[in-house]
Amino acid sequence: MSMARPILAVLQREVLKLGRQRTRLLASMVRPLIWLLVIGSGFGAVLGSAGGLSYQQFLAPGVLGMTMLFGAMLSALTMVYDKESGVMRMLVIAPFAHYWIVIVKTLSAVVAALLQALLLMVLLALLGYLRFTAIDVPVLLLGLLLVPFACAGIGMLAAAFTKTLDNFAALMNFVIFPVFFLSGSLYPITQLPPWLRVVAMANPYTYGVDLLKHALLTGVEGRFAPDFSVALDAAVLAGFTIVAVTIACVRFSGETAFDSVIRVLTGKKTG
Amino acid sequence: MTSCAIQAQGLARRYGEVVAVDGLDLEIGEGEFFGLLGPNGSGKTTTIHMLATLVRPTAGSARVAGFDVGTDPVKARGQIGLVFQESALDRTLSVAENLRFAGMLYGLPKAEIERRAKALLDLFGIADKFHAPTAALSGGQRRALDIIRGVIHEPRVLFLDEPTIGLDIPVRRRIWRFIEGLRQRNRMTVLLTTHYLEEADACERVAFIRKGRLVTQGAPRSLVENLGRHTVEFESRDIDALLERARPTLGKGLKEGNTALFLHGHEDTAPLARLQDELGDLVTAMRVRRPNLNDVFLWVHAGADLPGGRP
Repeated sequence: MSMARPILAVLQREVLKLGRQRTRLLASMVRPLIWLLVIGSGFGAVLGSAGGLSYQQFLAPGVLGMTMLFGAMLSALTMVYDKESGVMRMLVIAPFAHYWIVIVKTLSAVVAALLQALLLMVLLALLGYLRFTAIDVPVLLLGLLLVPFACAGIGMLAAAFTKTLDNFAALMNFVIFPVFFLSGSLYPITQLPPWLRVVAMANPYTYGVDLLKHALLTGVEGRFAPDFSVALDAAVLAGFTIVAVTIACVRFSGETAFDSVIRVLTGKKTG
Repeated sequence: MTSCAIQAQGLARRYGEVVAVDGLDLEIGEGEFFGLLGPNGSGKTTTIHMLATLVRPTAGSARVAGFDVGTDPVKARGQIGLVFQESALDRTLSVAENLRFAGMLYGLPKAEIERRAKALLDLFGIADKFHAPTAALSGGQRRALDIIRGVIHEPRVLFLDEPTIGLDIPVRRRIWRFIEGLRQRNRMTVLLTTHYLEEADACERVAFIRKGRLVTQGAPRSLVENLGRHTVEFESRDIDALLERARPTLGKGLKEGNTALFLHGHEDTAPLARLQDELGDLVTAMRVRRPNLNDVFLWVHAGADLPGGRP
C-alpha cells in the first residue's frame, strides 16, 4: 500500500485541528510579538544597535524560529495527546509499520510549524520588522524547511519518552524553554560566558536560529552577525533531525515501549 | 468450516511474572461469529491484541486472514478491523472527518470512504449525522461510529472487544442488530468478547477462558445442554451445611452469595423434591430452572470441572 493517503490523512487532521484551535494559533502569533515588542524594546534600549542593525531587527530571526519551535513541539506532542485520547488506536491498527506513525507525525509537525511561520512573516512584514532587501531567499527557503524538521525532531524525541500529558508542564520547563533560551535567539552566543556557549553550541536549535539569521540579516557584520556558516547550520539541522526521528522510531516500534502504549490505550495491565 | 480465518497454537503472553494468556489454541472458520467469554482479567483482551498484531506473543503462533501475526503483522492488519474497548474516535472532529481519517489510513479514496460511510451510518439509522460533531453523538451512536470506523475498509476479520460495555439494554440490542447486519452485509468473521452472556447466545460458537486458558468451547446451546437438564438453586441460612448435605445426591455445588447452585442432569425432578424434604428447615427456598450461558460462566469462573455430557 502506498503511504501517500495515510500521510495526507494525518496532515489534513493536523491542519483542520490547527484551524479550529484559534487560541493555539493566536498564541503562536502573540508570543513572538510580545518578545519582539516588549522584550525587544527593553533590551534594545540597553544594547543599542550594531552593524546598522537595531536589537529588534536582530530579534526577528529569533522570534521566527520561536514560532517554528513552539509550533512543531506542540504538534509533535499531540503524539502524547493521541495516546491519551485514544486516536492512537486508529494509527496502531492501521496497515503500516509503526515507525511510520513517527514519520507522519513528524511531517505534520513540520506542516503546522511552517504554516505558523508563514503567518508570522506576514505579520512581521506588516509591522516593518522584515527588511526585504536583506532577505536571502534561497537560504530562507532552506531555513523554513530544516528548522521545522529539527524542531519536530526535538518534539518527537520528547514525545517518545513521555507517557502522559501530566508531564507536559515539565516538558515546557525542561525542554522547550532551555532549547529556546540556550540558543542565539535573544543574544549573540559569542557574548555568552564560555560554559553557556558550550551548552548553546550543543543545542541543535542554535543552528536553526543561525540559519535564519543568514536568511534575514544578510550583510550584517559585528556582534549581531551569524556565528556559523550556512553549510554547518544545514548539516547540523539535517543530521540532528535524522538521528532524533530514528531514535523516536526505534523507541516507538520497540516492543517494551509499544506494550506500554497498548497498556495506556486499554487502561489495564492484563485481561 | 472450510478454511480458518483465525488459527492460534499455544498462544501465550506473560507480563513479567503475570501470565495473561497461557497456551491458547483456537480455530475460527471463515465467516464464523465467535465469542470469547471469561471473567475480568482472564486474558480476553490480551488475546485479541495478540491476534490483532498489537501485542507480541511470548510463545506460540497465530495466523489471521492467512497471515502470521508475528512475521507479517502489517499484511495481517490490512485484513482486520479492531474495535477497542474504549473509543478510538477524535472527539474534536465530525463524524465524516473521523471516518475519512480512518479510511485514508487504509489507502481508500475519499469518494469511496464517503459512499461506504453513508451506507454504514444508514444501516445504524443515523445517516443524518454525517456532518455532526462526534462529541454531539449519544453513547450508543458513538459506539456505532467506532464500529463503523473499524469496518470502513471492509476487513475479512473483525475483532470487537466488549462492543456493548457501558450501554443500556435498548442500545445494546441496537448495537447487536447492527453487528448482525454488518455480518450479513460483509460476510466477515467476527471475534468478540463480552460480559453480557445472554448476548453471546447470538454467537455460533463461544469459548470460555479462565486465567488465560481455554476451558471449554462449542455452540452456546450445546454447552448449555451439556451442563445438565436443570439448574437447582437453594436458598439457606447455612449454605455450607446445605452444600455438604446435598452433595451425595447432586454432586458438588457452587456458593453464590446466599444461594447454592447445583446441576441436575436428569429430566426427572422427583429426586429434587425428595431432597428438599430431607433437607427440611435448612432450605428456605428452592428453584428449578433450565440452565443458560450464565450458568456455564459461573461454573467456569468457579474453576469447577464441568460436568459435561451427563445423561
